[in-house]
Amino acid sequence: MKDLKHLIYFENLLQEANNELVKQAKAEGKRAIGYTCYFMPEVLLDLPGCFSVRLRAPGCTSPDIATYYLSGRVCHYARSLLERALEGGYNFLDAQMGTETCTATCRFQEHIQQKHLDSVEDMRIIDNDDFFCTFTDVPFKNSENSYQHFETQLRAHVLEPLHEHFGIDISDETLVKAVEDHNEVCRLINEIGEYRKLDNPTITGYEFHVIQLVSLCCPKYLILPYLRETAEEMKTREPNLKKEFRCKVVLAGSENDDPDFTKLVEGCGALVVCDRFCYGAVESRQPIVLEEGKSPLRCIAEHYLKTSNCPRFMPQDEMRARKKRLADLAKEYHADGVIVASNKFCEYWSYERVIDTFILKRDYGIPVCSIEKEYINSASGQLRTRFQAFVESIEIKQIQEDK
Amino acid sequence: MAKKNPIKAVKDFWYGKPHTAEEGGRRLGELYEDKTGLLKHREWRGVKDTFYYMYNIWGYNYVHMVLDILKYSNNPIDFVKGTWRYRWMGQTYLPVIHWFERGLQGMRGEALEASAWHYRAMVSASIHQICNFFNADTRLHGGKQNEAYKHTIYANETTCGTLFYPWKDAGYQYLPMEMIPYFVTCHVNSHTVLNYIDAVQSIGLPGDPCPMCQAESGLFVLDDVPDSAPIIITCNEACDASVSTHTLQDWFANKPLFALPIPMQFDDPLVKKYCMNEIEEMWKFVEEQTGVPFSWESMKKYLERQNKLQRDEWEKWDVASKTDYYPINGVAQALFRIYSTQYGIQTSCWEEASEKVKKIMYKCVEKKINPFPQTRHRVIAWSCMDSLMFDMEIRTDSYENMLEDMATYHMWAPMRRMAVGGMHHIFELWDYMKRFNCDMVAMYDQLQCKGMQGVHGLFEDEFRKRNINAFWIPHALPDCRTVSRAEISRAEIRRQINDYMTTVMHEEPLDPSLLDFDDSMTW
Repeated sequence: MKDLKHLIYFENLLQEANNELVKQAKAEGKRAIGYTCYFMPEVLLDLPGCFSVRLRAPGCTSPDIATYYLSGRVCHYARSLLERALEGGYNFLDAQMGTETCTATCRFQEHIQQKHLDSVEDMRIIDNDDFFCTFTDVPFKNSENSYQHFETQLRAHVLEPLHEHFGIDISDETLVKAVEDHNEVCRLINEIGEYRKLDNPTITGYEFHVIQLVSLCCPKYLILPYLRETAEEMKTREPNLKKEFRCKVVLAGSENDDPDFTKLVEGCGALVVCDRFCYGAVESRQPIVLEEGKSPLRCIAEHYLKTSNCPRFMPQDEMRARKKRLADLAKEYHADGVIVASNKFCEYWSYERVIDTFILKRDYGIPVCSIEKEYINSASGQLRTRFQAFVESIEIKQIQEDK
Repeated sequence: MAKKNPIKAVKDFWYGKPHTAEEGGRRLGELYEDKTGLLKHREWRGVKDTFYYMYNIWGYNYVHMVLDILKYSNNPIDFVKGTWRYRWMGQTYLPVIHWFERGLQGMRGEALEASAWHYRAMVSASIHQICNFFNADTRLHGGKQNEAYKHTIYANETTCGTLFYPWKDAGYQYLPMEMIPYFVTCHVNSHTVLNYIDAVQSIGLPGDPCPMCQAESGLFVLDDVPDSAPIIITCNEACDASVSTHTLQDWFANKPLFALPIPMQFDDPLVKKYCMNEIEEMWKFVEEQTGVPFSWESMKKYLERQNKLQRDEWEKWDVASKTDYYPINGVAQALFRIYSTQYGIQTSCWEEASEKVKKIMYKCVEKKINPFPQTRHRVIAWSCMDSLMFDMEIRTDSYENMLEDMATYHMWAPMRRMAVGGMHHIFELWDYMKRFNCDMVAMYDQLQCKGMQGVHGLFEDEFRKRNINAFWIPHALPDCRTVSRAEISRAEIRRQINDYMTTVMHEEPLDPSLLDFDDSMTW
């Protein structure tokens, strides 16, 4: 396939959190608002006057000082974020919108809070006098009570602080416009992502992963022109005549903002056609629907709870629906198998991976490759062996079925 | 060979050997058989205390372990069948008195008496739970769902029993699913739990999540939880692994389940309403499933008893913090508090024990008896399990007030102040050090608790800045194998403390025979 025009530019944008477009937006006087979790609605951080940055710590392979603070038994992602913060890599942030949705990232965000505890000396990790960090309580269920609670929380801990600190307009009209802009990004990403459903997809999982990540890490209004151009380019992109993959897979699991991991999987012959992991597009690029009779904030709150497939949802029906959802995705994207990858020390996904491995195979007949990985993909040799074996097992299965 | 002093021999016989490193001291470490932790013979504590231990603790508790079964069991044969059926039961019932031995070793007088009452209450409540398990267990009744089964409500062990008082007078029994099979068995026989951890790891779970959650999951993997209730209530208490454990348990249990989430940011006043609504929804679920309406009278009655128990505890803490006359040792204090608050007023044993202990305690206060006269330091043990959970009364003057307090109570569940809800809670350590007049900190460093590990460096920084004597005790709850760091065994824990006391504090041990001995195979 012909190279995508902006792929190298996108790759460069992912080299650091404070990338070229972030710097440009800051220079234009906009406030940079960091977040880590899908449950923090990025649309609320993209109101006029500010922009969202989903935090990453690319290239952080040795988080030594963070390991002193968080210990070596906490997920590498959280430690890498703290290390990058301690290095000054997030000094451009004006605020961090925290969630206590997993312990490790919560502890990272607590460390970067400023002047918050009498009991602990202020570390002032983010060297920015304007910086503040708030925490939103995120429910564990989809219910009327949860929606109401989440709406209240988002108003109190996201919108009002943005207004108080930076004078951001948080009126309903502004929220409606922000949703429209957000949905435009979603529409473009989904349009690009649709090509993954083709028999011979015209976009690789790696390329899509890069495009999805830049949409999370760059100011939306600045990345949109590039996304539009890429979507346009995709309309005429021709696939290679010979398929360059041996099977198609859904990549599911915990936090994954490392496109090289996707590249590793694809290097073993498994084309990643669907990304159902934290930072993936399956959830985050579903358009937000504004319903009549409900406030925009209420619709946003409902949207983020309803679309999430996070293993922290506790009700029985939702626990079971997550498995079906994964099986449905495999069917929708014509995948031959599912790779479930959990980050080392991620407790949610350690368990979820075990259950997925068992249930998807037993109840849906879908082959599953279950792996544990680091945030930065240092064990690539071992993982390559696992993926190659998985691809071979799928091929053998297909040969047997053809007989 | 030193010549025997007949006067000292008579004194030792009458009072027991003195607690000293000098020649003629107790040397309790020499009583142990190598590796097993079993005693060559019991300690001679002097005439009064030895006979007190023999009759009022050893004999009394064995007799009551039988009487309790007769009292709480619908059919004692079920108890025998359950002991045969469940590994956690078979391996732990008889070593109970060894648990007493470990917990009361070296103690004398009022400390021995009072601490033993805490143990007695824990054993009685445990038998109460075990009998309720077996009375209702379909596996012990040919698959039949009897009346006891229909009148049992299963809940995760960190879901407080207080929530189920409204159905208690209607004959419904709350049973924390894992409290006996996991939590209690760890204390009595530390080997039993390893089997369950292995089981869940055998289906692919990594070794790093909290071992408590791993063991709770493993019980279900091995089908070793009695089938004693038609419904399950789960909660997210306290951490990510707890939530995930319930997900895994659900696939094995396959029963109607209500998820009762506790808000994470529990200091935020905005979360209370949400929490209250969730509790009410859970009560509706129980009403629908049992067909029995919520009883305010029943709720009020047991809450008032619980509040009284809480006030008793505060009285005890007051004496512990302000005087040298508190007669309960640290283990008996912490375990009694955890067992009693979690299970709640399901039996009267907590109140009975508390009354007896208070009587002994006030005797110490009035007569100025220091039950631990050799104490050099007052240490606060700080970790993700503590006595400070549920540290409040619940108002019973109206339903609305009760519900509001219940939400707070529910949010102050075990490990909340350590693992979640903002790190400032874990740094309340400084306040509690003042409140309990402590000069030293024992950090129970649970290596697989992500919440605790995530504040490790800040604690180190603060200890240095504040010049606080603190030592870390690395452990992985019941699992001494998965953490490679120096094999976290009892011997290693002892070494950590001893090294700190000798190299940092420059102090000499009161009993040198306890510095180093091998009890790696002990229960």
